[in-house]
Amino acid sequence: MKRRSFLKTGLAATSMLAAPAILKPAFAAAPVTIHGLKSVSGAFASYGKFAEMGSKLAVEDFGPVLGAKPAYVTIDTEGNAGKAVRKVQEAIQQQGAKFFQGCTLSSTALAVGKEVAKGGGVFMTPAGADEITGTECNSATFRWTVPTYGAIHQTVRPLAKELPKKKKWYTITPQYVFGEALLTAAKDLFKELGIEHVGNSYHSTQEQEFSGYLTNAMAAQPDVLLILNFGGQASNCLRQAINFGIKQQMTILVAWTAGLDWFQSLGPEILEDVYLGAQYWHQVDTPMNNALVKRVKEAYGITPNYPLAADYISTTVILDAIKKAGSTDGKAVAKAMEGMSYDGPTGKETIRAQDHQVIKDYYLLKGKAKSAMKDPDDYATLISSGKSFPEGDKILCKMA
Amino acid sequence: MLNLYLFQILNGLGLGMIYFLISVGLTIIFGLLNFVNFAHGAFFMLGCYLCYSLLAATGQFWLALFVGPLAVAALAWGAEKILIRRVYHLPHTFHILITVGVALILQEGAIIIWGPIGKSIPMPDVLQGVVIMGKFAYPKYRLFLILFSAVIGFLLWLLLERTRFGALVRAGSESTEMVSLLGADIYKLFSLTFALGVGLAGLAGVLSGPIRGAHPFMGPEVLGIAFVVVVIGGMGSFGGALVGGLLIGLVQSLMTTIWPEGASLMIYGAMAAVILLRPYGLFGRA
Repeated sequence: MKRRSFLKTGLAATSMLAAPAILKPAFAAAPVTIHGLKSVSGAFASYGKFAEMGSKLAVEDFGPVLGAKPAYVTIDTEGNAGKAVRKVQEAIQQQGAKFFQGCTLSSTALAVGKEVAKGGGVFMTPAGADEITGTECNSATFRWTVPTYGAIHQTVRPLAKELPKKKKWYTITPQYVFGEALLTAAKDLFKELGIEHVGNSYHSTQEQEFSGYLTNAMAAQPDVLLILNFGGQASNCLRQAINFGIKQQMTILVAWTAGLDWFQSLGPEILEDVYLGAQYWHQVDTPMNNALVKRVKEAYGITPNYPLAADYISTTVILDAIKKAGSTDGKAVAKAMEGMSYDGPTGKETIRAQDHQVIKDYYLLKGKAKSAMKDPDDYATLISSGKSFPEGDKILCKMA
Repeated sequence: MLNLYLFQILNGLGLGMIYFLISVGLTIIFGLLNFVNFAHGAFFMLGCYLCYSLLAATGQFWLALFVGPLAVAALAWGAEKILIRRVYHLPHTFHILITVGVALILQEGAIIIWGPIGKSIPMPDVLQGVVIMGKFAYPKYRLFLILFSAVIGFLLWLLLERTRFGALVRAGSESTEMVSLLGADIYKLFSLTFALGVGLAGLAGVLSGPIRGAHPFMGPEVLGIAFVVVVIGGMGSFGGALVGGLLIGLVQSLMTTIWPEGASLMIYGAMAAVILLRPYGLFGRA
């Protein structure tokens, strides 16, 4: 074959192979794309990995939306608000991205929410800061996570009821907005319940050595130690509290844990008899949760944890809303989400129109002894669950 | 209240001995090699993870305590031969570049091998429990750490002050050229010193495991403390690492009672005060 003939034949064959891909968009509707904001690298990669699994699975499980199978793209936030914002801006400007879900860190979620609102899109996040559906709320941002108010009311209140004689409580609090919000809610509830707050130790956000703060707690001789920090700090604080024999001296409550993956990193020896607040628990008996547990085990061979479940349901909710709105217009989709009720992993969940906060259960768990665990992920017993949210003039969101 | 402060002093001494162990390797390496090892924290993390794996495989903490630091030292010895020694003659910026690279490789390697989720490391059975002191309780394991670190410190002092190896290291920190001209194999000395310093980071990692667990991102946090201790004590000073470690431990522990929210800040406050009064650290030389 001559060189010219070879090139002609090759070109024709390549064109034929590529034809379906070229022709397809002309006939099929463009797929709705969900952009998942996940910290798949950096210091919060452990969280981002599961969050990404949740969103991917949700998109995979969802049927056609506006005539086409939805698509999914991960944007790696690298656990950095600045980088996340820049990548979201690029996605909006260059790819016309409109539907975003995720963000591990509150600072990232707050910054991204503003960009998505400017770009006329919709953003749903599991991030923790109350401001997301409080003072910094906006028309495009929705939040699945129960705020600090609910976390305290659904842990301190049932525990105080279970242990009515334990009236002296000590708190260890990280000194930033999240910790302050938990502490304020706890102090208000202490007053209401007649609990004596015998002391508090603030610590910096960089702290990893808690022996000094635990010594302060021991000196105050409380009945209950309420730990108000989160993630790695909560791990070290709890681990060191167990080292210091505090579990034998007082009851320990960690109001806001990261759930199963956090439990796995600590193990039953540390968690046994410790009370734990959680946004999600895989053993909760609801139809959607039972289906989710089955599906995640089938797809990934693991038990769903908080980031996976939160991002699965949030992604599903956005797709449901697009379907309901019958349009990819950001405002129409946001409107469809307001007031929407659906079967979520925690049971019936409703998006409150006033502040875009999902009204859902929060859980109080109690760590099990290793000998009592029925399977490798059976770390805790469900003690109580319920919904507590600021109401009336305590809702600080003034939607523009 | 007095009891509380006395207890915080005891706790501070315990913390200080941990900080000494973390930083002494860094200062030995800087003293002889004039080399800034930014991978020190990553080697600490590796020690922690090796402790976890050895404990999971054998259930023997004491075996982990022996094998873990040796394995980290062996890795460091290899890294020094292949990579580190090639940049000794270059400015400190190159040392930083290469060791930050090593730290990132170790960190990402740990994620690949052990996963991104942290691991808990149980204490040996014999050291579980607490010693009751009035209304306070102090973990037996931390008491063991204080004693063990003191023994390690003493053995290190013997090694550096009473052996031929120590004499060469001290001489080398004054003038490597002179030691080389006197017939000592300076490259072998560098390799051994680097392995010793990093092995000590691994030892600190193994010992800290039951207190802090193992986490892929613990390296930078530990490195920060190690640098503060070394700067306070004086870069390259063995005694400085001990005094600096104890000073930081005491400041941190006492400040958690006096001004809890500023306890971490005061570590850096103490460092700034020392630098103002003695720019080369408490035991440093110009």
